[in-house]
Amino acid sequence: MNHSLRVLMLSWEFPPRIVGGIAPHVYNLSRDLVRRGIETHVVTCDFPGAPGYEEIDGVYVHRVDSYRSPSPDFATWVYLMNVNMEMESAAIIRRLDGQIGLIHAHDWLVANSAIGLKHIFRVPLVATIHSTEIGRRNGLHTDYERMIHQTEARLTNEAWKVICCSQYMTSHARWAYGLPEDKVMTIPNGVDVSAFGGEFDREKLRSTYASSDEKIVLFVGRLVHEKGVQVLIGAMPKVLARVNAKFVIVGNGYMKDSLIGQVHTMGLAHKAYFTGFLDDQALRLLYRCADVCVVPSLYEPFGITALEAMAAGVPLVVSDTGGLSEIVEHDRTGVKVFPNSSDSLAWGIARVLLDPGYADRIRANAYDEVLKEYSWGRIGERMGVLYQSVYDEYQGGSWKPA
Amino acid sequence: MRVIILTWEFPPRVVGELSRYVNRLAVELASKKVDTHVVTYHDSWTGYHEGADGVKAHRISNPIKAQVNILTWVLSLNTEVERASAGIYYLAKREVDLVDAHDWHFIPAAVDLKKAFHLPFIFSVDSLEDHRSHGSGAPLSLSIKRIEWLGASESERVVTKSEWMRQEVSRIYEVPPEKITVVSPRASSWIDEILESYRKVIEATSESLAQSEADPS
Repeated sequence: MNHSLRVLMLSWEFPPRIVGGIAPHVYNLSRDLVRRGIETHVVTCDFPGAPGYEEIDGVYVHRVDSYRSPSPDFATWVYLMNVNMEMESAAIIRRLDGQIGLIHAHDWLVANSAIGLKHIFRVPLVATIHSTEIGRRNGLHTDYERMIHQTEARLTNEAWKVICCSQYMTSHARWAYGLPEDKVMTIPNGVDVSAFGGEFDREKLRSTYASSDEKIVLFVGRLVHEKGVQVLIGAMPKVLARVNAKFVIVGNGYMKDSLIGQVHTMGLAHKAYFTGFLDDQALRLLYRCADVCVVPSLYEPFGITALEAMAAGVPLVVSDTGGLSEIVEHDRTGVKVFPNSSDSLAWGIARVLLDPGYADRIRANAYDEVLKEYSWGRIGERMGVLYQSVYDEYQGGSWKPA
Repeated sequence: MRVIILTWEFPPRVVGELSRYVNRLAVELASKKVDTHVVTYHDSWTGYHEGADGVKAHRISNPIKAQVNILTWVLSLNTEVERASAGIYYLAKREVDLVDAHDWHFIPAAVDLKKAFHLPFIFSVDSLEDHRSHGSGAPLSLSIKRIEWLGASESERVVTKSEWMRQEVSRIYEVPPEKITVVSPRASSWIDEILESYRKVIEATSESLAQSEADPS
């Protein structure tokens, strides 16, 4: 490993600015890269109260003016924000005497900065594609969506290597952008297992969510169609016919009101608890109170909630789709059910809740699996190897300026 | 002297008056033994072309075909302008003296090249967004003005074609009037005055660089 390797990481979100999954991903990845001797600079958008520059666990974090003036739409704002991000990044690299090993971009949101910097400094670019416009929209219907899709495609085109978080996303990205097989690498997302440890009064916290004779069935995610929360609501009567349970549903989304209306109509309002948004710490403790965690997604590029449940030691029931299919091995680390089937989901939940021996076995196997395959140390190690191989190829090539 | 001129229109692409003006400028500079590179846009006729007049044109196209407005179109184009400009820079063994950016379109590229290479740039103003949009104040106009402001504040010097425009740049973007040079294209000494403004910027930049190297603090 070359200990002088220096990486500039571009991400539009980084704690405390958290919009979605990219912020925790970049945060954990950066910290692990620093632990293995890779100097890591993160350039990200500003956030009220957060300093313009700081060092977090050895990671150099630079926050740039994210362009707060009015702009015509989100994509145009992204392009304008990139003007500032690239300008500041160019100054940062200049202050490092232009000595930078590679640039790592996360999603199209930083594509323009990353591509411009690549060519100005002639350093290799690697790009992680967390999700795709064509996947998010289930097709491309307007010039707005096509522009974002083409920007993503261009980022993958300009990148030396493209990283996806699951086999499913790798094959999807290859299809969406027409990428050769050897250009895309699968490096999974990770979970910080240690964050799920520590002492707490389980019975006391549990009693705030459910009565002692109720099993807790936990759902965590945005309350949108693709996450399949409506399938879980549909499964409620079938589960309750066999076992007394409380369905705790964490998250917000456009379906929330209609879901609440639905459980009222079913006469099961007392069996469903919509908590809304929970902060990280409250959520981690809630996982540890649950008797089963359910991920019934219809579309799931990766499925980070499944990893969180595994890290918290909760038995897992997932729909057999996307990244979830790869994370869970049926009957060994969890239960797989048919996507979009309330009957199948109810069967899976009841199976875990009615057989404590089985639940214990899959929970223990899942925890071992998380430690082995999805710890940030393992992911940082694989990323470090990828960086080094890209850097070595670059050093051996003729594109590098004299 | 080696100069990179950035312009979104250059013959055979003619949108307004700027195209012919920049062509005349490039030809005159080349005849004065300035190594003149023009980085510009063309839909299909891309690549490098050296004319009999000695002007070296680098034409780039837009890699993103679907666009929602002029800003996204221009900003995705800027990364290609940067690729072409950096190509000139590295091929010339980093010996480029100046970037001359005409109007707002490629200001982001000029600023990035400056931040990266300490390459000084001149913002040459033909027209301003306030006059083109009649001060509409729409988000799109404000965003373009923000880029013009970047050009006015980050450039080493602003060059206008009239005293009136000098006052307008100074008024709208709060640029000290002494930072702005007026060079009338109709003056007989026009190209000499342009060259003089180039030389002054290049000299001032090398002086300030020498100073910062002597005193790294």
